[in-house]
Amino acid sequence: MLKRHYRLAMGLSILLLLASMLISLTLGSVNISLTDVFNVLVGQATQSDLTETIIFQIRLPRLLCAVLVGAGLAISGAILQNASRNPLADPYLFGLMAGAGLGATLVSVVLPPHLISMALGAFVGALFAVLLVFVVCAGQHWRKVEITLLAGVAVSFMLSAISSFVLYFAEPFAANRIMFWLMGSLSRTDWLSVLLLAPIVLLVLLLALALRRQLDALLLSDESARTLGVNTLRLRLVLLLATALLTACIVSQCGGIAFVGLMVPHIVRHFFGVTSVRLLFGSAIIGALFMIWVDNVARTVLPQQEIPLGVITSLVGSIFFLLIMRRQRL
Amino acid sequence: MLKLSAVSLTLGNQAVLQNVNFVLAPGEFIGVIGPNGAGKSSLLRVVQGALAADNGQILLQQRPLLHYKTAELAKTVAVVSQNPAPLFALTVEQVATMGLLPHKNWFELNHSHDRHIVAQALQKVGLNGKANQLIDSLSGGELQRLYIARALVQRPALLLLDEPTNHLDVLYQHQVLQLVSGLGIPALACLHDLNLAALYCDKILLLNQGQQCAFGTPEQVLRSELLQQVFGLACEVTMHPLLNKLQVTFMPNQGAH
Repeated sequence: MLKRHYRLAMGLSILLLLASMLISLTLGSVNISLTDVFNVLVGQATQSDLTETIIFQIRLPRLLCAVLVGAGLAISGAILQNASRNPLADPYLFGLMAGAGLGATLVSVVLPPHLISMALGAFVGALFAVLLVFVVCAGQHWRKVEITLLAGVAVSFMLSAISSFVLYFAEPFAANRIMFWLMGSLSRTDWLSVLLLAPIVLLVLLLALALRRQLDALLLSDESARTLGVNTLRLRLVLLLATALLTACIVSQCGGIAFVGLMVPHIVRHFFGVTSVRLLFGSAIIGALFMIWVDNVARTVLPQQEIPLGVITSLVGSIFFLLIMRRQRL
Repeated sequence: MLKLSAVSLTLGNQAVLQNVNFVLAPGEFIGVIGPNGAGKSSLLRVVQGALAADNGQILLQQRPLLHYKTAELAKTVAVVSQNPAPLFALTVEQVATMGLLPHKNWFELNHSHDRHIVAQALQKVGLNGKANQLIDSLSGGELQRLYIARALVQRPALLLLDEPTNHLDVLYQHQVLQLVSGLGIPALACLHDLNLAALYCDKILLLNQGQQCAFGTPEQVLRSELLQQVFGLACEVTMHPLLNKLQVTFMPNQGAH
């Protein structure tokens, strides 16, 4: 990928992202024109206060959350894939999301709902899931992509099952809440979610950018990275903790959204390039763009109700996953 | 430049290296030869700091190797080794740029000076026209030269090469070793082919089962009775009439064990 192609792809996708954000604010049960959206955003008076309330209190925080969640999941996937040299690595398939879901579920059952306690519970849950996958894959198996993946999927199912059981146990009609944790939704997000997610997404992105040379060095082999002075174990541990934290915060706000972290980095590699800086910026933008449109579809396609985000991302993502497997012949 | 005194290494219960002593002078190219399992690669790993010797002392630029921090060592010693085919499509320039890593801080960008270093290294190994090509389109010889370019970008004081001519065609074997011996950077390379060692190396270190059997100029080390003892095959060492270099020919029918 040449530099000018990269710049062109980057410029186009930023324009597309901004346009999508504006269009997204017009979509919903109440029709708001693009002119009104623009007027509200620049602080000019509109015909009704209701428009302003809908945009500032409902649509804008939700839109920003979609941007942050999409970018965060895609960055997590990109980091996990490059750090493990595993093209199928992703926070969902590694069990991070199910672990975070279980942690947040347990906290929500035991304690009154609170932003920070849910996020912390989710983080502990995600770490627990990583630990389980590590224990299964310790030793020889760790090198094999398929074994890591199967272990991650098995851990995912196990922890999701426990989450569902806990929710049924706490509340007999828990179907809605189970659906939320398994499939994900942005319907519960507000300005507080934005305040939690924005610094974490930014922090993890900055950390990954700071470690970009080390991440790139890993792309050839561990041995080759070590000869360049990279402590491969410490690097992987730091990045895994960072992605676990990011995933946990996302899950605590909007449940488990599958396949975004797997799919977006693959598309980005194709159009932007494989080295870390291009991959990270590209993933952040394309991930945000993807999530905005998934949420637009989720909340507008059926009248009076929302489709869980995971329904759409899983449908698109699983087809993509099968295509990758066919191409790679694992 | 590099001095090993009575270096020993034990892995598990096995003595992998025993009492290895040699000196690598500035600008010299030393070839490490010996049969499989002789300890060639382990010796390289000890010198690059990946394995710690049990006994003895290693001095790198008059300083004990143990005193070097990881990042500092990466600025001093560059390693060229075999890599599996990369998963994602990297370009020639991206791989060579990796060599800047030991010299860069967290948020430091690549300046024009850095890009000049990378371009110069690619030119030195003859890959300057291929900077934007994907590395899976390179031949085996070009790939090995690219790894040497990456090592040059590290601006090392010592170059270590693990079997740099493995799996290469004859032409590429000579290209790679010609390149290494012409760089002027002190180098230590594990080699399988004794004739290549005789042709390109200033000195040769012969290892067998972890023991140092001989060290010196090709004329001092490549002696038929010694090679027969180590490799278990009768051999003849002659002077090549045109190249004026030693040539080893093994003769399986006469002395195979």
